[in-house]
Amino acid sequence: MGKRGGAEYPSLSLSWTTLIVVVAIGVFSIFSLYMGFQAYGSDHPEQANYYIIIGTTGFAAMGYMFFRARSITATKLEVPRVDVVTTLECPQCGLKRIREFAQGDYVFKDDEPCTRCEGSMTVTRIHRRKDEKEKS
Amino acid sequence: MFPSAGQLIPPNSDIGMVLQMVFSITFIIYLFYAQRIQSMTMLRQVEGTLRRVKAIRDEGRSVSIQTIKEIGKPENDPTPEVERFLEHFMIPPVDMDPAGIVGKFDQLINVRESTFEDEVRAIAPSASDSEVNNLENLLEAALALNVYYKVIRHFYLLGKRTMNIYVIMQIHMILPLIMREINAYSAALQAFKEGMPIGDGVGALVAAKLMHGNPWKEVAKEMVAAEVPMAGRTLVVMKARGPGGSVGKPGEAVENVLDEWKGRVKAIIMIDAAGKLEGEPTGDIAEGVGAAIGGVGVQKFRIEEAAKAHDVPLYAIAIKEDISHVVAPMEEALFDATDKALESVRRIVGERSAEGDVIVVAGIGNTVGIAQ
Repeated sequence: MGKRGGAEYPSLSLSWTTLIVVVAIGVFSIFSLYMGFQAYGSDHPEQANYYIIIGTTGFAAMGYMFFRARSITATKLEVPRVDVVTTLECPQCGLKRIREFAQGDYVFKDDEPCTRCEGSMTVTRIHRRKDEKEKS
Repeated sequence: MFPSAGQLIPPNSDIGMVLQMVFSITFIIYLFYAQRIQSMTMLRQVEGTLRRVKAIRDEGRSVSIQTIKEIGKPENDPTPEVERFLEHFMIPPVDMDPAGIVGKFDQLINVRESTFEDEVRAIAPSASDSEVNNLENLLEAALALNVYYKVIRHFYLLGKRTMNIYVIMQIHMILPLIMREINAYSAALQAFKEGMPIGDGVGALVAAKLMHGNPWKEVAKEMVAAEVPMAGRTLVVMKARGPGGSVGKPGEAVENVLDEWKGRVKAIIMIDAAGKLEGEPTGDIAEGVGAAIGGVGVQKFRIEEAAKAHDVPLYAIAIKEDISHVVAPMEEALFDATDKALESVRRIVGERSAEGDVIVVAGIGNTVGIAQ
């Protein structure tokens, strides 16, 4: 536990046993609903309610198992690492370059020499890269 | 398949009676055990979150140790010192008689800061001043994660032991809010480890943009100020000294500058990050009056006292951000908002002062990754 990119932690995931139970409940629920709708047209329409209640309860239980009561098993933790970019600008010729953040970068740092003129490029911006989702 | 499967339960069976019994028993069980079932469900959710928080806490601890080894190059393994650091606490002064409590807080905070600094210098002897500041911040983030973990664990174990729904509900209800803060602190580990600007530093960034290129001097502990001409006025722009992670002592700095300029200061403009409400866009700018500064309140108190003593109005510019942005690497929207904040500063200077006046502009916040 505790290593970047390799820390083990118990997270919520679906075990095979739970999956089989969920599938079994699902099949049973569909069957019950089918029986319920069949019963409406039969000589015993009062049974339809029972079947439909069983079917819907089964689906509710499935939903609960999927979203709430999934078994706790050990998986790898990736503590989210954000993507940060550094913008460099040459105060003399205005050349602008954006690259990945490097340790030691800070805003207003005189960084690498300009590739277009003899000046030195200054770090003008450091921020997270905008998510593609946010852009769209 | 279904019609033949349907033969399993013939229409004339007693299924209705059986189901009625099942529902009756379920109802009776739920009548007596509903609260217990609900408690168990909530406990399970808290347990899942607790495991995740533990993993993040452990990540904070290991990142701190690894960074200290990389930057500080200590002779011995710093793990025991880091473990001790993570359990550090501060006992607030007694507030039954609140007179003089600010001074007590000030002293306590100074002792805490100097203790942290000394400890970090001891375990990271090769670190520069900026790196020491960043390591301090990194350890403080790890400490905060440790406290979150222990508090959640406390309520979880207490709830499990007592099975009291009200004990469990206390932590269950606020878990989503706490998790947002915990996730922000986990992002802070990366920011402080590598020295990236964070959301809280947006006020300091505005000041840095104003004072960049002008000669600056130290006006208080870890606080720098520069005289910047603007539209016939003189702005005394101040911020914490960067690029190491520090918030400085803005209160002390404002006091010193007001004393130095002896009645010539006509306004104080403070720029700081402020918590946004859901629905407000990140990087929105709001203007108001008062001392825009967070924390325990010592620096705010000193600024307000100094402003009152010199009869100087306090103007505030707030840059809105979510709680999850405060200690995480700075969002692009916040960086862009600094230009809008600069426009606000220019407008307030133009509207609230005359040519020849001196105006103090204080950029508040952690200046990690931001020079001047």
